[in-house]
Amino acid sequence: MSLHSEILGLPKGTERLLADLVHSRTGIYFDASKIDLLMDKLSPLVVRRGFNTFLDYYYLLKYDETAPAEWGNVMNAISVGETYFWREFDQIRALTQSIVPAWLAAHPGRTLRIWSAACASGEEPLTIALALHEADWFDRASIEIRGSDGSSVAIEKAIAGVYRERSFRSLSLERRARYFLQDGPKTWRILPELQSKVRFSVANLMNESEIAPLADADIIFCRNVFIYFSESSISRTVRLFARHMPAEGYLFVGTAESLLRLTSEFELKDIDNAFIYEKGPRVQ
Amino acid sequence: MISKFVGVFTTDRDMVIQVWDATLTRLTGIHSDDASEQPLLKVIPDLEARGLTRYFRHVLEDGVVEVLAPAFHRYLIPCPPLTPSPRFDKMRQHVIIAPLHQDSQIEGLIVTIEDVTQRLESEYDFAGKLDQQPSGMPNLMGALDDRNWRVRRDAIREMSQLAAPDAIAALLLSVRDNHRNFGLLNSALNVLRLTEIDTHSTLIDFLKGPDHDLRIQAALSLGEQWDARAIPALLEATRDENVNVVYHSIEALGKLRAVEAVDRLIELAESKDFFLAFPAIEALGAIGHSGVSFRIIPFLQDEMLREPAARALSRIGDEFAVEALIALLNDRNAATELIARSLMDLYERYEAKYQEGSYIVGLYRNSIKPTGVQNLIDALATAEPDNMRPLVWLLGRMDSPAATRALTWRLGSAELRSEILDALVRHGSTVTELLVEQLKADDPETRGAAVTALGRIRDNRAIPELTRLLERDPELTIPIIAALTFIRDPAAMDPLFSLLGTSDAAVRRAAVSALNALGVPEMVKRVVPLLEDSNPGIREAAVCIAGYFGYPECIETVFSLCRDPDANVRRAAIEQIAYLEDKRAATVLAEALSGDVPAVRAAAAASMSHLEASSVTTRLIAALKDEDSWVRYFTVRSLAKHRSPESAPELYRLAQYDRFQQVRIVAFEALCRIDGGLAASIAIMFRASGDPDLQQAATSVPLPGNGAS
Repeated sequence: MSLHSEILGLPKGTERLLADLVHSRTGIYFDASKIDLLMDKLSPLVVRRGFNTFLDYYYLLKYDETAPAEWGNVMNAISVGETYFWREFDQIRALTQSIVPAWLAAHPGRTLRIWSAACASGEEPLTIALALHEADWFDRASIEIRGSDGSSVAIEKAIAGVYRERSFRSLSLERRARYFLQDGPKTWRILPELQSKVRFSVANLMNESEIAPLADADIIFCRNVFIYFSESSISRTVRLFARHMPAEGYLFVGTAESLLRLTSEFELKDIDNAFIYEKGPRVQ
Repeated sequence: MISKFVGVFTTDRDMVIQVWDATLTRLTGIHSDDASEQPLLKVIPDLEARGLTRYFRHVLEDGVVEVLAPAFHRYLIPCPPLTPSPRFDKMRQHVIIAPLHQDSQIEGLIVTIEDVTQRLESEYDFAGKLDQQPSGMPNLMGALDDRNWRVRRDAIREMSQLAAPDAIAALLLSVRDNHRNFGLLNSALNVLRLTEIDTHSTLIDFLKGPDHDLRIQAALSLGEQWDARAIPALLEATRDENVNVVYHSIEALGKLRAVEAVDRLIELAESKDFFLAFPAIEALGAIGHSGVSFRIIPFLQDEMLREPAARALSRIGDEFAVEALIALLNDRNAATELIARSLMDLYERYEAKYQEGSYIVGLYRNSIKPTGVQNLIDALATAEPDNMRPLVWLLGRMDSPAATRALTWRLGSAELRSEILDALVRHGSTVTELLVEQLKADDPETRGAAVTALGRIRDNRAIPELTRLLERDPELTIPIIAALTFIRDPAAMDPLFSLLGTSDAAVRRAAVSALNALGVPEMVKRVVPLLEDSNPGIREAAVCIAGYFGYPECIETVFSLCRDPDANVRRAAIEQIAYLEDKRAATVLAEALSGDVPAVRAAAAASMSHLEASSVTTRLIAALKDEDSWVRYFTVRSLAKHRSPESAPELYRLAQYDRFQQVRIVAFEALCRIDGGLAASIAIMFRASGDPDLQQAATSVPLPGNGAS
């Protein structure tokens, strides 16, 4: 039994029902081995709403007029905020060295739009901004970077731009000194001119109306998200990306997140030793 | 002889053709270049019109095998017979459509098309001759319709054996020529076996034949067929001149668990032939005969063969194998990760098969030396995540402080945490200090895991440091309270009381639960003044403690707090008075139910479930018309508990028409306890509603008989 629900006096019995609802609304799937983890995260929310059972909270999320606001709390509770700068950098190297130059050559005068679709506290879109900055692309082209996440708390952190040591585990000390200002004994703040390259907003990947304005990007990063999704949620999300992206575009997913069995709309390409999915006229 | 009459094609999941073999080109005249990468519906345009598409979809969706019989469907691909026929203008085809599996997924279809035109011609001729026989022997075609299943079976067998060698050869060659996954062949062979075609003798013929590619494919297939009749031929094939045939024959013998192959396999392993010794030892492990274990142990000394030997011993080894593996682990240059995995697998096998895992642990603990422990610790620092679990498992069964310290390094690892926590908790209070150290770790996951472990160990020496962490690490507040609850020591009382003033309702409730679990008699002195604290959060928490213990000196104050200016305090007091066995409770709850804010009204409705039905039913029925959905919801639940028959009409109305589904569902559940007839009519409505929650409710609640129960 979940430790939190035990200490908070919440009886067992409707965990699967609630987990399935969370899955359908957020895409995040908690199997039997992880269901206690979900209950640990949701138990405080149940109590804060004045309920004594998960079933009451399930009905609140499903039917109550205040459910939309409560889903924000759920997203904040279950979001996986674990990320860091320069993560899986081979893909971002391929972006700056091959994809961006080729795209700009094919679309002169147009703005290149890049979207980090589950950016947590912002490390990924800021890494993209740093890499593009180092390659001088901001001086040579119009590039727009957007970052979104389902968790409003994570996006607040991204907007604040203050990071702790764990966010720098793959970033060299030299780069940290160049792009960040020490803000506290163990915290650093991103330089404002770099942070201004990224626009952050809250958006749930399962909600098409929230995603549509962002998904028209030429390049979408959706890395280390699908590992928490069920196959049906992944397929739905990828179809949604394909529907809203321009005719030609690129989708970046994490190394462990193969889409080969789940999509026929994107084709896997090896670009500069990085695996990237391409949407294009040749891909049916 | 290679068949000219069985063609094979495969498709992907979208029914786009992937492989179109040469035989099929000969049969149909459609060239591979024109068929490959084309949708099936384009290559066979009238497929849909003839109603055949559904068979293909059925196979793709449900993984079943479909057979299109020539007598009924006549053909799949319309084309003339290869040899002109007096009876048939189009080739008669026996078609098998089977799923093509890759792992457990259906990746596409494999379709075999057999030209049976000549066979049907012969059967018609044969039948014609039989008809002229005065003895009246049953004709073959008629036998297919015979009421006796034995007659039908014999007829099918006779018919299918006509095609078996040709079909299998075509499939074997198709696999070879098209470099297809071997799963394709086995999918097809399984299909042929389903239709009672004898694949075995044909495969044996190929295993002994002149074409080494066919010998390889035959050995592979025989390994998949689970037919022990193949063992003598496969044993003979381990002496084949072609080393690949030998390799696959060895593998097949392992799959068939051929005990009679043990001596030959040992001989092959002892040959130390780099290419054959490996599979020979693997096969010995797969055969699973425990008597072979002692013959594999010597291979552990061979650096080249150590890995397969260790793997094999994990599958069949006994106590002698454990000793041999630990002796290796105690070596300065041990292959630690390999041996650790073998020992853990061996333990799991003993535990699963004989419930004697502890015997293996005892052997391990008696034989491991400091060098072995250090090897495990060193490996834990460098191993890839996939290899860590056996190391954790072995270190967790050591009493060595160095081993337990090493385990605490990995507390932050989500994949290993459960295993490490179990190991640390097994050591009890001897690891408290180590875990207290981890409360200062930089990684929040490690701190959280250390808190959990300390709670499970229940050593009160951890209380001071856990209390200090309460101030430093707000995200761990609830886990720390949980740990303090498990430790259950009065020393935790002060820090827990200090949490009652927090603004977070969840933390307050956790602290109240922990204090209630402590149950220290002197708490009452602390609680009485808190009931009048200026902080409403503290008053609310104090009410919960006072109500839980029913302190007589607090009862008046608890009742007075039912009129507290703060709604949360009122709600907490309302929730508690129902347990105090005080006659005033019904009146106070009724007042709250009719005149307070929604949250308090809902609490009053819920609390009424604990009072005598006669004192609250009328009030509750009136509250079913409350404007707030949650008040109605909790009112319905209380009425359900009281099983008040007079509430049935109003519950029936709510189940039908309430704006909120949760109210409709609980009203239906209440009716199920009160009036089966009304509940049944609601169940019919819910089942037809299309709403999954309503449908689920209608099917999950048992209906009683009519009338109140």
